[in-house]
Amino acid sequence: MTKKLLLAIFISIVLWVSGDVVIAETTKTAVPDTLSVDEIVNRTNRVAYYLGSDGSARVKMTITDSQGRQRNRELSILRWDQPNPDLSKEQQGKDDSYCGGQKTYAFFHRPADVSKTVFMVWKYPDKDDDRWMYLPALDLVKRIAATDKRTSFMGSNFFYEDVSGRSPADDTHELVETTKDYYVLKNTPKDSTLVEFSYFKMWIHRESFVVVKTDYYDKQGKKYRTYEALNVENIQGYPTVTKAKMTDLRTGGYTVSEYSQVKYDIGIPESIFTERYLRKPPRKYLK
Amino acid sequence: MNLKQRITDFSIRHYKAVTGVLVMTTVMVMLLAAVPSIWPETFTAFNAIKIDTDPENMLPADEPVRVFHNQMKKELSLYDMVVVGIVNETHPDGVFNPQTLANIYELTEFAKTLHWTEEGREVGVVEVDLIAPSTVDNIEQGGPGVVKFEWLMPQPPQTKEQALAVRQKAQRIPFLNGTLVSEDGKAICIYIPLTDKHLSYRVYSELQKKTATLSGDEAYHITGLPVAEDTFGVEMFMQMAISAPTAMVVIFLLMLLFFRKLVVVISPMIVAMVSVILTMGALIIAGFPVHIMSSMIPIFIMPIAVLDSIHIISEFFELYQQTKDRRKTMIRVMDELFVPMLYTSLTSAAGFASLALTPIPPVQVFGIFVAMGVMVAWLLTVIFIPAYIMFVKPQTLEKFGAVHIPDQDEHTTLMGRILHRMGMGTYRWAKPILAVTVIIIVAAFYGISKININDNPVKWFSPTHPIRIADKVLNDHFGGTYMAYLALSAVDKEFVPEAFVNNFTQHAENRVVEYKADWPEAASVFIEIQRMATTSLKNVQNRQEAFRILSGLVDEKLNQAPDNLVDAWDEVSLFVAEQKQQNQVFKDPAVLAYQTQLQQALLETHIVGKSTSLADIISTVHRELFEGKDDQYRIPDSSSAVAQCMMTYQSGHRAGDLWHFVTPDYRKSSIWTQLTSGDNRDMTKVVKAVDKFIAENPPPVPLKFEWFGLNYINIIWQDKMTSGMLQAFAGSFLVVFLMMTILFRSALWGFLSMIPLTITIAAIYGAVGFVGKDYDMPVAVLSSMALGLAVDFAIHFLARSREMYASFGSWEKTVPVIFAEPARAITRNVIVIAVGFLPLLLAPLTPYNTVGTLLASILLVSGVATLLILPSLVRVLEKRLFTDKKVQGASCNCVTCVVSSVTMVALVAITLHQYAAVGWGQLVWFSFVAILVLALGCGFLSRRKKCKTLNEQEVTGND
Repeated sequence: MTKKLLLAIFISIVLWVSGDVVIAETTKTAVPDTLSVDEIVNRTNRVAYYLGSDGSARVKMTITDSQGRQRNRELSILRWDQPNPDLSKEQQGKDDSYCGGQKTYAFFHRPADVSKTVFMVWKYPDKDDDRWMYLPALDLVKRIAATDKRTSFMGSNFFYEDVSGRSPADDTHELVETTKDYYVLKNTPKDSTLVEFSYFKMWIHRESFVVVKTDYYDKQGKKYRTYEALNVENIQGYPTVTKAKMTDLRTGGYTVSEYSQVKYDIGIPESIFTERYLRKPPRKYLK
Repeated sequence: MNLKQRITDFSIRHYKAVTGVLVMTTVMVMLLAAVPSIWPETFTAFNAIKIDTDPENMLPADEPVRVFHNQMKKELSLYDMVVVGIVNETHPDGVFNPQTLANIYELTEFAKTLHWTEEGREVGVVEVDLIAPSTVDNIEQGGPGVVKFEWLMPQPPQTKEQALAVRQKAQRIPFLNGTLVSEDGKAICIYIPLTDKHLSYRVYSELQKKTATLSGDEAYHITGLPVAEDTFGVEMFMQMAISAPTAMVVIFLLMLLFFRKLVVVISPMIVAMVSVILTMGALIIAGFPVHIMSSMIPIFIMPIAVLDSIHIISEFFELYQQTKDRRKTMIRVMDELFVPMLYTSLTSAAGFASLALTPIPPVQVFGIFVAMGVMVAWLLTVIFIPAYIMFVKPQTLEKFGAVHIPDQDEHTTLMGRILHRMGMGTYRWAKPILAVTVIIIVAAFYGISKININDNPVKWFSPTHPIRIADKVLNDHFGGTYMAYLALSAVDKEFVPEAFVNNFTQHAENRVVEYKADWPEAASVFIEIQRMATTSLKNVQNRQEAFRILSGLVDEKLNQAPDNLVDAWDEVSLFVAEQKQQNQVFKDPAVLAYQTQLQQALLETHIVGKSTSLADIISTVHRELFEGKDDQYRIPDSSSAVAQCMMTYQSGHRAGDLWHFVTPDYRKSSIWTQLTSGDNRDMTKVVKAVDKFIAENPPPVPLKFEWFGLNYINIIWQDKMTSGMLQAFAGSFLVVFLMMTILFRSALWGFLSMIPLTITIAAIYGAVGFVGKDYDMPVAVLSSMALGLAVDFAIHFLARSREMYASFGSWEKTVPVIFAEPARAITRNVIVIAVGFLPLLLAPLTPYNTVGTLLASILLVSGVATLLILPSLVRVLEKRLFTDKKVQGASCNCVTCVVSSVTMVALVAITLHQYAAVGWGQLVWFSFVAILVLALGCGFLSRRKKCKTLNEQEVTGND
């Protein structure tokens, strides 16, 4: 068994303290002393978004605003990755530079009045995503244009891009610092008109390639948004972020996502990720 | 020697010491006030000067409407906003051309940078809530079956077509059309929210600098209530530094013209200046903020301070040449003027102190400090003026003053001749004069009935001020820049555990029936949850607790459930969650539809140009989900559908915008109302229209309706001010009347002295009503001023008349004497002060203009009323006023005693009503009894032996 947690969705993982222990145990692969920036970027991307050939998890999101008022979302997320055609079944996932297509199915349990709402994404390596939304109370399947991925994920402080992953090809990367435990990468967008940040910095754990923290800086060079991995667990041999927090430093609001029932390599059929299943959720995989 | 002689003698004898103490006190107060203001960090123990231009502070901070306003602002994350309007009247496409939109984009980016760190806190522009074309979201069709979220204008457009597309898109979104873009396409408004409205002047100045660098044919207008208030504060401060000194200079020059002796004329100036310094110093030291009201304190104190000094100098001027002895002349002058001056000062102070009765803190502070300043001025006048005269060398006074040749000098000057003829006229035509007066009073009351109570902080600026212009231009193009919010809140029902359980089990039972046939496992667990609810919820305190217990129980069951029951328990869990959401009233389609109706009623007022609510957002999302068809612009049919529209909306860039319209518990919602006018009168009309709508159309669920927003707060304090001022005025009128009755030992004389001020006030307010000038704050406050000044003239006139009548024996013989020196002093006062305040008319702030105009009018009218009406009345009432009985204790005159008692009781009643909130019904009974008791007392007192003997004796002198 192996591989990823799709859901962990967010940029990365980490644990400032106990995380190191877990990570040290789980990553046996010897890491060459000198990795190129691209190698670091690719491996980080794989650890964050492409663990295993598929995965499922139950997510509880707690959105807290600046006044401490909380709202909850509960959803199940299923993920399926397109296999790398150049590798054998056993070798899948070993090539960090491969980012194939990916399909995601997010089913809402709570709040009760949005229960059975489904959000589905087909991610392509070379073009804009396809996104669908099913709104049961309106009995409506709607496609959503995905030209801009930096919009709120269902009212939380996470963006769609945080959930589905930002393509490493969209940024130029610079290794600004290598500490005892972390690589610190500065990522600058190639087209700054498409995004609201001017750059973001990631702290990547050197052993596990889990992103423990990401800081986003605005056009005046001021930090305005920050991601932290709050808990990392070894699940089926994969370093999995099971608790993550995204804070909007401008408003003081933040969202904490907690992952439970995380499973990898369960053999979810690709056919589930189709319009037909939006109205008829695959209950078997959503427990 | 009596007290007044002793005081005068003391200051004459120790004139150096008196002056030294005065100089030291003044310097001390100046230092205490100025030093902590200049170095606030070093002198933290003392109060630095605080400026407060916030009309909100017209109400105390704990006033319910303010508490609610702040609470709702917090709950809905609303901020005070600076509004930048960009108008392009020349380009055929209006503002929607690449050049103008590029400038707007640049200005928006610039606005985002306007935040600073102050005391470790980030303050300034709230970037996430900034409303501009590049910062708001557009929902629209992205091709067949596709809905699209994107920034309305992510980058400035390059072509004419792209620019017009921005307009077309924005006008499709109801909450942007008429708010962000004008319906005629000529204007765009950027709304810049601020963490604190006190930063608005800073942001305003920065924005002005920026717009000056932008080239293009568009015009930039910066406005919004916080800008108006903050700018007003800055300009008010400048006015304080310009108006008050200018007035002083003009008064000085006029006095120089009348008295022609620089050294002597300087003394009233010193009295006025020192009074102002001591009063304002005390205000700052005591830690009170300088408010729009308190900034006018110097302007009010100066004329009153000068007034008494003018009387002294006038008198000194008349008498000096008779003895050529500074000391003797001064003691004689003071002997004659001490009592009238004390009374004029006390009455003026009482008039202002009565403002403490209004429930408006800045007006209270103003009233109390002006009253204090008046008494300080009096003290300085009686102590310092005699001391000052001692500094003046006799040689300098050699040619000072009139060389007194009786019956001649009065007629040598123009003023003397006019006054003399006037006096004789009042004797001859007393009755016609009184008849004309009656006509004027009737007309005045008609004018008063037409008075329009209204205020508008933006109108505090003159019509040519950039803020007034911006206000006019933007309100022509948009749905209005004056914001008020109508909060709708669900009413919490009392929680009764039995009722809750009954309702819950009823709904669960419905599910049992539903599932019985097809899903028996579910039916069985729905029976079980009913049992669990009945047993475990007996003692719960509230709804929240009940649901916490229920979901805990269900979760436990779900975790332990055998495989065949997992789905069933899952269904129960969802059911409980659904029940919990039942109180989210602002997801109820009926409630949202009601909001839409209410908005329609708002528009029908024609004052509200635009309103925005949660219903608009939901309808727009619904339309775009259904192919953008106009007939789909509606509220969906179920609350789940509403919730799903909300979640769709929250998938945009500005998920937080939803929370400006509804709280996350969906129990409170607010309708944003844009008024095209900031007049309190118009806001009042809107409030009434909503009340009427609610009365005729009750909401589908119990809702509470409450207004908030600065425009609403303004009408609350205005109401309080109007009623408060009336009571304050009634109170001070009674106090002054009581004082007059005591001073003259006669109710009749007391009434007489109230005549000029009553006529002055009636005439001034009648004129205000006729001219159509709004009755606003400065107008209201000036009634106290009128009271204080007008009674001064009457006191001087009547006190002198009575004295002189005693020596001349008939009014006919007294008139020419009264119309000599005393009338001249009054006339000089009228001219000096009226003309002295005319520079206020040049100020760019209308409250200063109003004060200037009204002050001049008050002085003129009360001067004329005193010099025409009083002598006419005395002529008519001569027999009753000057009886053979000599002046005696007020208590001996039964009528005077009873009138005084009634006055006193009325005064107590008003005060009790104001402060102790005692109802009028109770007070009337209480007063009735009190008056009866006091009347009996008066009867006994006036029949005392002492009174009888006094009546029979010939008592000379009244001191």
